[in-house]
Amino acid sequence: MAHELRLTGERLTGELVAKVEELSGENLYACFQCGKCSAGCLFADHMDLLPSQVLRLVQLGDEDVLSAQAPWVCASCLACAVRCPKGVDIAKVMEAIRLISLRKGEPHLSPRALAKEERLPQIALVGAFRKMTP
Amino acid sequence: MKRIPYFPGCGLKDQARGFELAALAAMERLGYELAELPRWNCCGTVYSLASDDLMRHLAPIRNLIRVQELGESRLVTLCSMCFGTLKRSAQFVEEDSERLATINAFMDEEDDYQGGVEVLHLLAVLRDEVGYEAIEEAVERPLEGLKVAPYYGCMLLRPRGLGVDDPDHPRVMEELLSALGAEVVDHPYKVECCGSYLTAGRADVVEARVAAIAGAAVQRGADLIATSCPLCQFNLDTRLSQAAGRRGTPSIPSVYFTQLLALALGADPHLGEQAIDPRPVLAARGFLSEVRG
Ligand code: SF4
Ligand code: SF4
Repeated sequence: MAHELRLTGERLTGELVAKVEELSGENLYACFQCGKCSAGCLFADHMDLLPSQVLRLVQLGDEDVLSAQAPWVCASCLACAVRCPKGVDIAKVMEAIRLISLRKGEPHLSPRALAKEERLPQIALVGAFRKMTP
Repeated sequence: MKRIPYFPGCGLKDQARGFELAALAAMERLGYELAELPRWNCCGTVYSLASDDLMRHLAPIRNLIRVQELGESRLVTLCSMCFGTLKRSAQFVEEDSERLATINAFMDEEDDYQGGVEVLHLLAVLRDEVGYEAIEEAVERPLEGLKVAPYYGCMLLRPRGLGVDDPDHPRVMEELLSALGAEVVDHPYKVECCGSYLTAGRADVVEARVAAIAGAAVQRGADLIATSCPLCQFNLDTRLSQAAGRRGTPSIPSVYFTQLLALALGADPHLGEQAIDPRPVLAARGFLSEVRG
């Protein structure tokens, strides 16, 4: 995704950074953009932003990140979390971004989308609805 | 017979009956009763990664209270997802007494959770308590000639320090399979995610993942993939079978590790739920004739 970066001091001290830091409990500025998380993310080729790019936009306070698809393609597999050389748990950052939308009451998955499925196990339904609905 | 409190979780009472039934039968032969936890409830499947979502920890903690009510201090699971959720919630309240106090205050009927319940995965019990030597001795029908590719997925191994083994180079499933006499087929996707709950809504993503995992196993000559999670199993089995025929998708059956354990110990492996039937390859290798209930 081509992205124009607009840097302002206000953004860096703005609400997005504070919210994601609080929800995730992670120090966003520990990330030095090495890209190891993105290199190892098996879902990156289905994402519009790489995990490290998601993190970068949050660092810069860019609210466009809230409309990215990447956090919804993230399967919370924690591969990035165990590999980050700076100890950043990106899975938690992805969760924080999902929660910012979900807590505005915006679901990402609707039961209707699953209407064609013959039989999905409970474990898939409970997991997906917990992650993708308010 | 030793007794260990056991948490089945929803999957094992539904599409993954074979996972549980094979485990109960196999463990009995090893001298262990997996005693189902009274009044257990769904663990919530996915662990909340948010710092503030205390509500999501109620379900796991309530299960730990049930363990406490028995006067026990351990809980064993078979499902990797349940394992991850219960284990991490236990840790989440262990590291912050305020969180625990809030969660306890929310629950009226139960006694307060005091902390200290240890959540174990059956693979760790087999390794650390039963021991591979005892398992080898109990094997009646060594799985000689059966080529098995272990598949760990995520929640059994991650995050670091809470999983059953090293997150990058796990050995626990390999060692168990070797103790059963099987030939272990190593492959680069054994710790890589199958797509997990994305299977609800993003079957396309999951199909791509499981095709890669199965392809790696097939390429290295595996007969079967061994799993430890009903969600991995659904993805590797049902989703893979649905993708069959597209883009040269490989086909290989997946079974739960408990089913291979049961088979080797001479107990009923409770096969038959799989979309990609493992019985033909097991029969071809001569393993199905000697099964008894
Ligand atoms: S691996 Fe860690 S430090 Fe490197 S880009 Fe990802 S989050 Fe940043
Ligand atoms: S947790 Fe999400 S971002 Fe991290 S490697 Fe897994 S899918 Fe990718």
